[in-house]
Amino acid sequence: MKRHPIVVLILAGSALSACSSLGGEGYGLSDYSAVNVHRVKVGNGNMTVVPPRPWNRHRATLFEDVASVEDWTLNGPLLDGITFITGLKSGHFMVRQRRTTDQQVPKFRADMTPPEIAAMLEGLYRVRGRAVDFRTLSIKPRPFLGANGFQFDYEHLDDDELWRKGRAVGAVINGELYLVMYDAARSHYYEAALPDFEAIVGSAQLRA
Amino acid sequence: MCARCLEISRRSLLTGGAAAMAALHAGGADARVKPADMVPLVGPGFKPTEKDEQGLWKEMERVEEEIADSNLLITDPNITGYLRDLIGTVGGPAAKDFRIYLAHIPDFNAAMFPTGFAVVFSGLLLRMRNEAQLAGVIAHESGHFLRRHMIRSWRDQRRKSDFFAMGAMLAGIGGAGAGVYLGDYVQLAQLGTILSLFKYSRDMEAEADAMGAKLIAQAGYDPMEISTVWQQLIGEEQASATYRGKHRQRGSLFDTHPSDDARMADLKSDALELKVPGKHYESYRERYLATIGPVRQMLLDDQVKLNDPGASQYLIQTLAQDGWNGLLRFYEGEVWRLRNRSRLGDDVRAAQSYAAAVVYPDAPADAWRWHGIALLKEGRTGEAKAAFSKYLTMKPDAPDAAWVRQMIG
Repeated sequence: MKRHPIVVLILAGSALSACSSLGGEGYGLSDYSAVNVHRVKVGNGNMTVVPPRPWNRHRATLFEDVASVEDWTLNGPLLDGITFITGLKSGHFMVRQRRTTDQQVPKFRADMTPPEIAAMLEGLYRVRGRAVDFRTLSIKPRPFLGANGFQFDYEHLDDDELWRKGRAVGAVINGELYLVMYDAARSHYYEAALPDFEAIVGSAQLRA
Repeated sequence: MCARCLEISRRSLLTGGAAAMAALHAGGADARVKPADMVPLVGPGFKPTEKDEQGLWKEMERVEEEIADSNLLITDPNITGYLRDLIGTVGGPAAKDFRIYLAHIPDFNAAMFPTGFAVVFSGLLLRMRNEAQLAGVIAHESGHFLRRHMIRSWRDQRRKSDFFAMGAMLAGIGGAGAGVYLGDYVQLAQLGTILSLFKYSRDMEAEADAMGAKLIAQAGYDPMEISTVWQQLIGEEQASATYRGKHRQRGSLFDTHPSDDARMADLKSDALELKVPGKHYESYRERYLATIGPVRQMLLDDQVKLNDPGASQYLIQTLAQDGWNGLLRFYEGEVWRLRNRSRLGDDVRAAQSYAAAVVYPDAPADAWRWHGIALLKEGRTGEAKAAFSKYLTMKPDAPDAAWVRQMIG
């Protein structure tokens, strides 16, 4: 079985469901659905974006996924992906995890500063993505959704021996986390879809 | 992700795969193996003569090639040279034949392969308090090779395992010859799958313990340190499980032994038996710390960011038995910050640890950054700015300098 980068792991507690090509395709079900070039709601519907070209939305699973988190990919989850977090409430996790799990992704809190949110995302990659090396490239202020937000750039070596690179742009608005996170194979794929990510971030709006 | 492979690799490298262990040695507790009885079964420059072993070697040579090439290895020549010297000291007759690789994986693990190459995980270096402890683990692994445990267990396994399990493993290991992709099995983090081919019996573990103790005592290390290593591992697993409201899962790392207590007792008896009255035994703590010093922060970072507060807290307390410093205080704070249970006062505890850390001259720059953030949240803006300034002075090219400068205003 192939390994999956974080985009898959965030939403799919079961790696199998995410990579299986057996999962009832003949019955009209698929793990992905197309996202076309028009304004679409993401996550729990609190935010809308416009992709510059068609992407693929990962189908959410009721018992494994967090409603305010949604994943997209262009070339498949091993190579690239965008994660939307749309109004994650204080005291909540961005992934479902059991209380008894040894290693846990830290929870979000409304009073987190950008370095703390960056550390939470780093935890996600280390705990769920099995990143063995993680490097923060930059954390800097950047407006997002009309609020004082931040941009976090990073790269990580996962235990499938592939370097991946990512950028997250986010803000805490009314105590809730809004974030768009891009993660792709560092070689070729990151640069290739970065303009898509920037266009999507630029198009992001809160639901009126 | 092959979650199961990961699970295997995380827990079972030291003793080989644990899953089928019970079947191999259902039986009562064994008598202690005496170090004096442990004679190496291979000499220098050992090469296999029997056909099945020769075949196994051939496959393992491919595995080693892949591992040697992995970008998950830490290749710092000071540390790898140090490990090479160490196995050259406690490797018995095969000392000059061994190869040793250091993998950047934050788990407590080390493993020996049938052809005489060892893989040490970086998480092991974090957990060892001195050179004698590390030498003990490496000598234990050497013991498996010197007593020919891999080929013995391989043959035993082949006789007993069910056809399909063996078939699946062989497809991975031997598949290359048939043109089957070998990649997934050879990836470093999935070594557990390879190692599950060599399940050590309880007797073999007891032999490796006794052999290991003998080897390090001969090299002048205090053999008592081996029992301390196991004590630390049990303590850590217990702390981790207790924190998450579970019982420690016996049957993983220690599956092959009658009980932790018996193993501890045996290791202590070994040490007492081996120590020659009047001879001086060393732990070489200073030399160890000087060698891993440059990577110690990275090792702590790798562990603490896994957010396993029970294990990390235990580990830091254990390392601090040799004395607190700025680095350990800082990571104590990091454990609380990542645990992030405000109801239990974690933010206050984290803030206290950061404040304590920056008093030490060895406090890392990051301690000043987090100290600043903690002060900021307490509304102590002036002090926070001073801490941030100190951070930027120590780390002018900090990746978050733009954000920090905004905070300083």
